[in-house]
Amino acid sequence: MKPWSIRNAVESDLDAIMQLENACFAADAWSRENMHFEVQAHHTVYLVAHLDEQLVGFAGLSKVPGNDQADIQTIAVSETQRGKGLGRDLMNHLLTDARRQLAYEVFLEVRADNEPAQKLYESLGFEHIDTRKRYYQPDDVDAWVMRLQFKQSSFGREPVVLGIESSCDETGVGIVRGSTLLANVISSSMDEHARFGGVVPEIAARAHLEALKPTLNQALATANLSLQDIDAIAVTNGPGLGGALMVGVGAAKALAVALEKPIYAVNHLVGHVGVDILERGKLETPTIALLVSGGHTSLLLVRDLLDDVELLGETIDDAAGEAFDKIARVLGLPYPGGPEIDRAAIGGDPKAIRFPRGLTLPKDMEKHRYNFSFSGLKTAVARWVEVAEAKGETYNKADVAASFREAVADVLVSKAINACLAYGVPRLLLGGGVVANARLRELATERCAENGIELRIPALSLCTDNGAMIAALGAQLIMAGRQPSSLHFGADSTLPVTTVQSL
Amino acid sequence: MPITLAIDTSAGTSVAVLRGGELLAELNNDYNMKHAEGIGDAISQVIAAAEIKPSQIKTVVVGRGPAPFTGLRIGIAAAIMFSEGVGARLFGVVSLDAVAREALINREIASQVSEEKPLLVTADARRSEVYWALYSGISKSGAPICVEGPAVIKPVALEELLAGRGLQPIRSEAPVRAAQLAKVLDAQLVDGQATDDVTALYLRAPDAVPSPGKKVSG
Repeated sequence: MKPWSIRNAVESDLDAIMQLENACFAADAWSRENMHFEVQAHHTVYLVAHLDEQLVGFAGLSKVPGNDQADIQTIAVSETQRGKGLGRDLMNHLLTDARRQLAYEVFLEVRADNEPAQKLYESLGFEHIDTRKRYYQPDDVDAWVMRLQFKQSSFGREPVVLGIESSCDETGVGIVRGSTLLANVISSSMDEHARFGGVVPEIAARAHLEALKPTLNQALATANLSLQDIDAIAVTNGPGLGGALMVGVGAAKALAVALEKPIYAVNHLVGHVGVDILERGKLETPTIALLVSGGHTSLLLVRDLLDDVELLGETIDDAAGEAFDKIARVLGLPYPGGPEIDRAAIGGDPKAIRFPRGLTLPKDMEKHRYNFSFSGLKTAVARWVEVAEAKGETYNKADVAASFREAVADVLVSKAINACLAYGVPRLLLGGGVVANARLRELATERCAENGIELRIPALSLCTDNGAMIAALGAQLIMAGRQPSSLHFGADSTLPVTTVQSL
Repeated sequence: MPITLAIDTSAGTSVAVLRGGELLAELNNDYNMKHAEGIGDAISQVIAAAEIKPSQIKTVVVGRGPAPFTGLRIGIAAAIMFSEGVGARLFGVVSLDAVAREALINREIASQVSEEKPLLVTADARRSEVYWALYSGISKSGAPICVEGPAVIKPVALEELLAGRGLQPIRSEAPVRAAQLAKVLDAQLVDGQATDDVTALYLRAPDAVPSPGKKVSG
């Protein structure tokens, strides 16, 4: 999680801005009048970064409508916060804005003796194109003029991006044009895992290899495109099952090299959040996102899809989907457990048995307010059933299924709603395969309505793991002017949500 | 002349580009991990070193192993997607064949090898086992002639098996070179033995047993 927060500057920030301006640029600092004018101007974007209510950085961009060039006017980071990524974060925000305003190129000037800053700009795609002699006075230092040109392929029209997903047991290939879904093809190895009662990583990885080519070709056929129409490749590089991720990563890199197109390595969980763009054209932020699947149970606070995703909490043991699988087995139901429990719960009384709600006691609230735990629940249900069976009692399976499901849905929805209220975020987005669960959707709908929270549940084909969400996130990165990933990123099974793109 | 891209990740990573039979560029990294990190750069660098465009590649050949799981898949996945990307034909070759060819193009070795005194090629299969295959010679066009294997076995059991048959093979366990993989394919094409089967030769089932479900209370 980034320790600072970034927002647009307002007039009342001026005192703090000038204080930092004078501290950073002493001899050639701007005047207050000058700064005031730029912060207020219509053709500029000024951002401020705060840490513990202290202003620790600011940056400004100028972009005149109708002109396809933009200028980074200034950037300052307080001495205590240098080398921590704040400068890059501010720059990325400004470049995203330049891109949104349809800039074609961005210019900046930097002191010839400021190598750290030059390195930062180079890593963002800027090139040194000119030198202005003795530009900085009275220090008598040259200025480098640097320029970033946004890729032609992402300029003037929406990029066509092919996304590859292989983090668990679904091989997904999706194709989008900008924010428009063109194809979403999924090949699942679920049936092969059924007799093991859960996803077997090696089986999943083997299945990905076999599914790659048919899934790719079906996606191209659905979109009515050939590979020559693709502008960029996006691929999930984590989090997920290592061996499974590597198949997608190897495949995506080779495809990018073959097509001579850029590649974007993106975060699977952030993909689940970004998928909403394919249905609504954009992601409303801030939003709380609850992602629930066989592999993940995560609660996120998303202030900005590309720059500010914070993990509020996650499961400390089993994922919610795993709990469904395990309880299905206890009840003698097949894999995958989610739909089976849903079916078994029909007509059951969700209040028949009060199963425990993990990490909801007051003592858990400090450390685990937004974390989840399902292993205690799983044990409680299994024990309840075993005791009943040992006594030779007959029990109502529908009641057990309904009560278990209620406990899971209750914890998930309660914590998500609490996060919305605590952070003052009036939106909740659901994602992940467990969203298929009827009771979870029902309870989320009820509780959101009670609390005036807008609920978003994308279509199920976009909630389960899929390549379209990966393509969509890749397209967002391109449209924001982000540089492609290098070819040497790896698969990271524990990739944090704060890493939206791996360079 | 047709250009071929050869990829093998059965142990390390080896990538080569050949025009006709002529090697234009080869990259070998014998480190047997980090295949996913390295595969993109490896292909891209070899293509650059060969001074060709990806789209000039008309044939892709990949080593099918045998190999332990993870790394092997990355090369095969890359080969499948690369061939789709440039519209090239895709072939699979047993990786041990490339090692056998490297030994058998040495005339001195080739002259000693026969069905009675075969060439034994082995490779590390981890878990204290080896992959192995026996070759009786090399075809006129240059394809190694495999008479047994590939299979996986404990080294002790392999020695017992060879001793039991009274075989004292010539041995090779050199690393796989992608250039040799391409040359095996060329020879197999001439011999009518080439295959477009690129399925991975794991030679082991996944480690998983169906769960009987366990009790939680005593």
